Amino acid sequence: MKGGKRRRTVWLTLAGIVVAAYFLAPFSWLVLTSFMHESDAMAFPPRWIPARPTLDNYAIFAAPGGTRSIVGSRAAENTVPSILNSLVAATGTAGLNLALGILAGYSFARLRFPGRRTLLFLYLGSRMVPGIALIVPLYLVIKTLGLLDNLLALVMTYLTFTLPFTIWLLKSYFQGIPRELEEAALVDGCGRGRMMIRVLLPAAAPGLVAAAMFAFMTAWNDYLFAVILTSSMAAKTVPVVVAGFATDVTTERTLMAAGGVLAVVPPLVLAFLFQRLIIQGLVSGAVKG
Amino acid sequence: MSARASGRKLSEPSLAFLLNAPALLAIILLVGYPIVYSAWLSLHHYNLKRPRLFRFVGLENYVGILGSEEFWTALQVTLLFTALGVAIVVVLATLIALLLNEPFPTRGLVRTLVLIPWAIPPVVNGLMWQWIYDAKVGALNGLLVSLGLLAGYRGWLSDPTSALLALVTAHVWNALPLAVILLLAALQTIPAELYDAGRVDGSGGWRLFRHVTLPWLAQPLLVVLILQTMLAVRVFDLIYVLTAGGPGTATTTLVWQTYLTTFDSLDFGLGNAYAYTVSLITLGLALVYFYLLYGRGEFEV
Repeated sequence: MKGGKRRRTVWLTLAGIVVAAYFLAPFSWLVLTSFMHESDAMAFPPRWIPARPTLDNYAIFAAPGGTRSIVGSRAAENTVPSILNSLVAATGTAGLNLALGILAGYSFARLRFPGRRTLLFLYLGSRMVPGIALIVPLYLVIKTLGLLDNLLALVMTYLTFTLPFTIWLLKSYFQGIPRELEEAALVDGCGRGRMMIRVLLPAAAPGLVAAAMFAFMTAWNDYLFAVILTSSMAAKTVPVVVAGFATDVTTERTLMAAGGVLAVVPPLVLAFLFQRLIIQGLVSGAVKG
Repeated sequence: MSARASGRKLSEPSLAFLLNAPALLAIILLVGYPIVYSAWLSLHHYNLKRPRLFRFVGLENYVGILGSEEFWTALQVTLLFTALGVAIVVVLATLIALLLNEPFPTRGLVRTLVLIPWAIPPVVNGLMWQWIYDAKVGALNGLLVSLGLLAGYRGWLSDPTSALLALVTAHVWNALPLAVILLLAALQTIPAELYDAGRVDGSGGWRLFRHVTLPWLAQPLLVVLILQTMLAVRVFDLIYVLTAGGPGTATTTLVWQTYLTTFDSLDFGLGNAYAYTVSLITLGLALVYFYLLYGRGEFEV
């Protein structure tokens, strides 16, 4: 029995290594390339490990316009500002998303009202429309509001895309929290607002983190809307800049790799930090329906 | 007016309406209105190259689409891509989630690494796989040749069949983590007593999976199916960077065809009709899934 258990552990660990390698390998190729000289990156047959590792590719982002000229691309100048833009857009989306999602999610979890089911399906149904179907009219709406090339427009757009999932997730999460908790607070003389801040939201922390992360990722990853709604570095986000140099054959590959890695660092750090809370948030949130 | 006062004064329906107002307003303005407007545009002849010829044509655009070869080719590509992508993601995600739910020494680390693709924007993902598939200095060629699995270097993105498979592979890698964490979360809600009861009955691993785990996963799997189908049908960024719909029309999905019609040919009328057709197909798929969820009587809202 004991030997069987040990063998099982070995097999599980091996399978774990295979899975880890599958998720790690493609990305590590990008990371390794970002530390190579261009000649090594273009070598035949391909080299896996940089023979002469260098930080040059990253140095360019810190001090653009240096000695290495980048033909046909503003990759070096634009990447860092675009990361800042993305941070603002994604954080703004996540924050507003929580604020509106908590209110609506709470109403579905705790209140009886006519049209409750219809409204919930309306929210979820709004996500059934592919982005490409919205892009032209959305552009006109944003233009009318005078918000073209403005991060606020991106935040508003992403907000509407992420809200349905947030509302659904928070609704389920709130439903999983015993009503007695709130009732006790309400009896103690708290209003609903104070009760939410003091009792409900702390109890729902993992759900809130999960919802915020999903919203952040959606905002960070979007390319289609960002490219249509922005036109200058006032609002261009990382995917727009990366797509710009990814489809431009003249940009050096190692430089693109470094840009790609930089674009991934913020969401990656967040995902790693909150891994446990995200899964925990989904446990009583999304998966129960 | 303090929150406390409003909580007391308002009836539940009015409070509910008040709580939903901000979310509803945002969605009506930025999703509701565009949906209606693009439906209206799709009934018009409207090409930006000749903007003066704007006129109502009824369903002409739709008739044109249904009669065109491009539509049926793109529909085929979309369905093939979606079916392959969703099937692979669901099967792999289930296996990986089952693995990550078992105790083993490096589990925490693997659970963290699984999240990597989730944090990678599709545009960066496309860039990355573009080099992996590169015909001259790509990692895939290098790996397969050095392992002796391939005689010579191949242009993975220049052959129609391998280009579609390459696109599916890149998409699956990017889309897997979401499915894995949803299923892993679902697995963690299975009460231990269910397994204990199964073990008392003398059931082994496979029977436990078949009679305890799988029924419990039915609903989360449907949720994953819905999310993944939506994700696969609307893939755009990846195609933009990786294949641009080619070679030929091998990876031209309906969304890519919509993009070409709208922004390449600047035919907004036809483009919106395309967009609407994609929406209707997505909606159809969603209805089938919702019917499955409801039909099982397990979906409580």
